[in-house]
Amino acid sequence: MNNIIAIFDSSHDAPEEIIMAAGKIPYKILGDVHTSTTPADQYLFETFCPAARSFLTEALSSSENWDGIVAAHGCDATHRHFDIWKKHVKIPFLHYVNNPFSRVSKSSRKFYKIELQTLIQALEEQYSVQITTEKLKHAISISNQVKSLLQKLGKLRESKDIPNREYFEICKKAVQEDKADLISELQQTLEIWKDRPTFPKGYAKIMLTGSDVTFPEFMDILEKAKLRVVRDDLSIGERYYAALIPDFDDPIDAIIEYQYLIPRPSTKHPSNPRLDYIFEAYFESKVDGILSQNLKFCEDYAYDSVWLSDTFKEKGIPSIHLERDFIAEDQQLFTRLEAFRELLKTQEALK
Amino acid sequence: MSSAEQHTQKKLVKTLKTSSKLKKIMAWYFIKGKIYSKLPWKKVAWSVSGFPTEFLWTYDVYPFLPENCATIAAARHKSQELIEYAEACGYSRDLCSYMKTNIGAYDKKLPAQFGGLEKPDIMVCTNTICDTHVKWFQIQSRKLNVPLFQWDIPAYVSGSDEKVMNRYIDYVQDQFWEFTDFMYDHTGKKFNQKKFIKTINKADELAVLWHELFEYRKKIPAPLGYADTLGDVFPMFALVGERSGRGVNFYQELVNEVKEAAKVGKGVVDEEKYRLLFEGIPFWYKIKFFHQLANFGAVVTYEPYTYSFGARRKIIDNDIEKSLREMAKTLIHTPYFYNLETRMEYFKKTIEEYKIDGVILHNNLSCRPSTTGMADLKNYIQEELGKPVLLLTCDMNDPRAFSEAPMQTRLESFIELLEAQK
Repeated sequence: MNNIIAIFDSSHDAPEEIIMAAGKIPYKILGDVHTSTTPADQYLFETFCPAARSFLTEALSSSENWDGIVAAHGCDATHRHFDIWKKHVKIPFLHYVNNPFSRVSKSSRKFYKIELQTLIQALEEQYSVQITTEKLKHAISISNQVKSLLQKLGKLRESKDIPNREYFEICKKAVQEDKADLISELQQTLEIWKDRPTFPKGYAKIMLTGSDVTFPEFMDILEKAKLRVVRDDLSIGERYYAALIPDFDDPIDAIIEYQYLIPRPSTKHPSNPRLDYIFEAYFESKVDGILSQNLKFCEDYAYDSVWLSDTFKEKGIPSIHLERDFIAEDQQLFTRLEAFRELLKTQEALK
Repeated sequence: MSSAEQHTQKKLVKTLKTSSKLKKIMAWYFIKGKIYSKLPWKKVAWSVSGFPTEFLWTYDVYPFLPENCATIAAARHKSQELIEYAEACGYSRDLCSYMKTNIGAYDKKLPAQFGGLEKPDIMVCTNTICDTHVKWFQIQSRKLNVPLFQWDIPAYVSGSDEKVMNRYIDYVQDQFWEFTDFMYDHTGKKFNQKKFIKTINKADELAVLWHELFEYRKKIPAPLGYADTLGDVFPMFALVGERSGRGVNFYQELVNEVKEAAKVGKGVVDEEKYRLLFEGIPFWYKIKFFHQLANFGAVVTYEPYTYSFGARRKIIDNDIEKSLREMAKTLIHTPYFYNLETRMEYFKKTIEEYKIDGVILHNNLSCRPSTTGMADLKNYIQEELGKPVLLLTCDMNDPRAFSEAPMQTRLESFIELLEAQK
């Protein structure tokens, strides 16, 4: 055992700080684009989200390295697939947290608090630990240090030469590694990134929205098409660090408030704040265009994508919407991205 | 002529005489909707499966059900063009075909007999069956500028116990009062306890009769099959708690006819050979599929989908809070969206009670939530319960997913398997 509690969610739905306060390392399951999903495909048809099938594949092969799994409600896949995980994944601790769908219902906060208290109780019983207010506050402090550093690192994308993959990898570490250990690495990276050359010529600055990107190869494709992601609203990205966990007397209330503050994923109601965040980022960072992408069979975003794309068009924002597969290399996608890059160049010339 | 063609041209299941009266009831319902939407003092809502329609009737708010309208469009062979219209607007082929049918039907202003519906004053939905219900209504409420109430129903996953259920009930119950606030804000109508009790009691009359019909389906031969219930379920969608009593009268007549048939041993097929369970939403554009099972002496005698609409929601001891807790349970946990553990136990019990010979599972391409766990369910039914399973990959409302000849071939092989097991 590696003291790891794996997280199965669909955006940024699990309360990492509670896991940290139990003395465990939260590790977000992201699957592997290079590994066949055949093990999961025994239980999930191929018309299901390929990322979710990859997550299950990873759990089937790696669960012996984890102390437990905390699943948190995100999209339909999280709670429906949970039943399959319960039946087939060998793990001593598997707990489901119902992160409410509603962000407007007055009673959703009360309900969420009880859900988090139940998780605390389950962790305490399973691992014979006491999750105290002090421990939670300490975990929140560590988490906020990581988020603050990521905010600074993320901001540098607009002015410095930070390849897409590097940014993605650093965000990925934040959701998979021991946060206390990561702080010094992030501080060092910040110093290195500050000394980087300025934003390279010939690249377009884009905002990336849509389905969560879970593997760096997709970021490489963007890089190859000379598209630099300088803003995003994704879970392995700004959704994770745009907001800090507030300093409340009750740390559980703080964690709840944080969940309501983060850039809104499509899996929570209402969706409108997502658009607000995108607009704010677009105008604040003067990006050249918006890339909206949908992972095949990722339904919640596929519903939002039409509204978002139509709104971008109405506002005269250069944008493109693409559907992508769960594959490391995609020539067709690259060709369409190149065309988008050309479009942005033309628009730039017309300015 | 191929074997498939021979079978598609043969006899159909005989439907009940009473079932033919449904058309009149539906026509009355749609005219009522039209009138309500024209009168300024009346209010009209859009609602989804899983949302208790009787709560709307309590306020005399007329419920339009876009899913039900979508099935009408499919039955009238209109769904494909509507779906293609929605796809041209940007909605992916992988998304819910009900939703896309509704997008097309509303934008193209189709009349009610083809699946069209009026603009609502309010929209209400839950996520109890799927995220799609919420996403769909977000899209339409934004487009039509209509207020939306989303009732958040937590997922009762495998391994959950009574403690979990009580937590969830608290949350669902709290939201009932938020719903009454929403109704007051957007319809100007206050919650009226007397009306609520009356409506719920009326709704339960309907559910009791629906359940009674299912009891008769346990008889051999079955006096009622899916070819009837997939239409006859309509009052359970739309008329639950409705005051005129048309739904109740219709079901009472159905019960009388079914009871009579059962008494004389008259089944829906002449020689009943195979009793089937169908899991999933039917192919609304190909209802004949269920009729044509008669060619093989087969009849669908149970389907969780239509049964689930008959959830019993009762007033207990004239106590609203106590009653709401029981009602909340039905919103959280009903056969159509049981978690995998419960679903397996439920299938075991149902297969025994209804003396099922084989199971057809619909791997519905645009309804992933309903098909999750189907691989495990299939293995369980085959290996643990020893019953043959036919897994059909298709779609509920998109005819492009239905391929006649391969479907027929698979059905014939399944029947052979059933025959071998007899």
